Amino acid sequence: MAILPPDLSPADFAKALAELRQAIGTDWVFSSEDDLGPYRDSFSPVWDTDKERKASAAVAPADVAQVQAIVRIAGRYRIPLFPISTGKNFGYGGPSPNVTGSIVLDLKRLNQVLELDEARAFALVEPGVSYFDLYRAIEEKGLKLMIDCPDPGWGSPIGNSLERGIGYTMAAFRDHFGASCGMEVVLPNGELMRTGMGALPGAKTWQEYKYGFGPDPSGLFAQGNFGVVTKMGFRLYPRPDFYRTGLITVPRRRDFVKLVEICNYLNDAMLCGEIVYASPLAGLMAKPDFAALATRAGGPSDADMDAAASAAGLPSWQVDLQFFGPEATTASNWAYAKDRILAAIPGAKAIDGDAFPLPATPEQMENKTQPYRTSIRRHGSLGVPSLGIWKIVRDDGHLGFFPVLPRTGEAVFEMQRVMCDALREFDGLPSFFNATTAPLHWHSFAFQMVFAPSVRRNDPAHNAMTDRAMHKAVTVAAEHGWGDYRAAPIYQDAVADTYSFNNHALRRFHEQLKDAIDPEGIIAPGRGGIWPRRFRKP
Amino acid sequence: MIDRRDLLKIGAVAPIALGMPAALRAATAGVSLWVRDTRFQRGGPLILAPGTVALNGGDVTPLWTGTLDDAWRKRGFLVAGMTGSDALFVLEQLAWHRGRRVVERSEVAPQDGTRPALVRWLIAPVHASVVA
Repeated sequence: MAILPPDLSPADFAKALAELRQAIGTDWVFSSEDDLGPYRDSFSPVWDTDKERKASAAVAPADVAQVQAIVRIAGRYRIPLFPISTGKNFGYGGPSPNVTGSIVLDLKRLNQVLELDEARAFALVEPGVSYFDLYRAIEEKGLKLMIDCPDPGWGSPIGNSLERGIGYTMAAFRDHFGASCGMEVVLPNGELMRTGMGALPGAKTWQEYKYGFGPDPSGLFAQGNFGVVTKMGFRLYPRPDFYRTGLITVPRRRDFVKLVEICNYLNDAMLCGEIVYASPLAGLMAKPDFAALATRAGGPSDADMDAAASAAGLPSWQVDLQFFGPEATTASNWAYAKDRILAAIPGAKAIDGDAFPLPATPEQMENKTQPYRTSIRRHGSLGVPSLGIWKIVRDDGHLGFFPVLPRTGEAVFEMQRVMCDALREFDGLPSFFNATTAPLHWHSFAFQMVFAPSVRRNDPAHNAMTDRAMHKAVTVAAEHGWGDYRAAPIYQDAVADTYSFNNHALRRFHEQLKDAIDPEGIIAPGRGGIWPRRFRKP
Repeated sequence: MIDRRDLLKIGAVAPIALGMPAALRAATAGVSLWVRDTRFQRGGPLILAPGTVALNGGDVTPLWTGTLDDAWRKRGFLVAGMTGSDALFVLEQLAWHRGRRVVERSEVAPQDGTRPALVRWLIAPVHASVVA
């Protein structure tokens, strides 16, 4: 049975589709069930249940004028639009909308790299440009610029940054929204707006000074629903001359606290790239006795973990460090890191890793020459898009819950213990949280840990368990001050609900804005947990 | 144009390690590229027939950047293969974005614990903007 937009009759929906076809061409309006298959969430744990959010149609405009026309038609018929860039976003809902019956606004045909400036190190792109496209444009022009891309790299800089996605190079670029500079937006009434210096006619600094004058509304368009972003600028990393890696190991569990303190300094002082923590003890989780220790209720003692490490002849923790810059600078920074850590932590060891000029050779990109077992994703670290990471996907996909926690060893130990105990009842899931779980330093100045339970298309019971586990993870984490940074539409209300300071003042503020700017909910109602009055429960 | 029977024949008589027999290749004229997955190689050196590419460890990246990204911006260009289901998922996502679909798909071997299911498939242009 055909899906209709909310509050719209079949006859009026047919009229709306006819107007859309008139506006952008018959070939670019999709409404058959077959055509809409790609706009479902392939990783959905509620696939084919009444909880799955499905589009009623999809449209793929060719340019900004057509985007404006679509928004105005949608406004006349009060049809919610759900904008996507390339629609990947797997683990967070893919291209599926918050509201069943929405029309997906697929911006894949707006695929131009509009400007690349090597001397000023920026790009201006459209939403349909993928990281592969941007990388290729830079390579074809022979520019000494490096992008910072997620893994896999098939998404778009605009889509990823608007989801507050991350990468793997230096702190200034890993936060993709933070590295954005200037945007063009089609507002819910169809009007075109530019932020920052883009609002000043004749300005040549749109991608160099993001604020312009007065309040900067850019943040409203990230995980928000206040407009359709049609252009966006990004700061790019001037390609460094040289890349160097090194590994530090520390013997005892509690050494992690000091290790994190020093690595925070290295990161915040911009002396190194992404810091990749791991526990060599994680390899022991296949042994039942060790797994029982690492997942013990209330957490294992430091002494017991140290004894297990000693018995296995393994260090408790390791950190992969990466350095970019002139060759001499990378050598100095690595020497400085070694000196500080080895002086502060008895028993710490340092091993020199790779060292080579950039760009890397294909062999160096394979990351097989390190004299130790590394956790670095070399493609991501060097800003080269890849699809190879896909092999880590288990079953038919997974969800993503990435709670944000403080950058301290103590906070890591606490999250290991609390989340391990909280999720113990879901014994069909791997123990994502245990005493060997390392934090991710993807975001510039915060840690995250990962809970990514799988989905199985033909196993509803497993998916129902995954769904329950996600909700419990969100709730328990929030009770300890840890919030998710990004969520699929089916979890966005639950996550937004945890950001509840002062009787949900933030959400009420967002709702006031939404009611003023988009009262009928034309742009992605519900996205980010923001609902206009029309869709709010009384 | 390749048809379902051709694909079934390929799967039945052409294990991926042995390559695509010439007779069957002729029967599937119209396919621009064959794709194999090294994870399902049965030992010995991998010998690639003309018009065939290998996915090393199932990684689609080189196939995408070296061939499909350009080829799928134009009309036509059918691609057939036998790969892991994970590699097909990636290709299917990329294909959708460029007006193409998996029009034939069947499992040749189930997931075996270390490898994903082996699937044979055909991806063809379906959108008016890319149909030959």
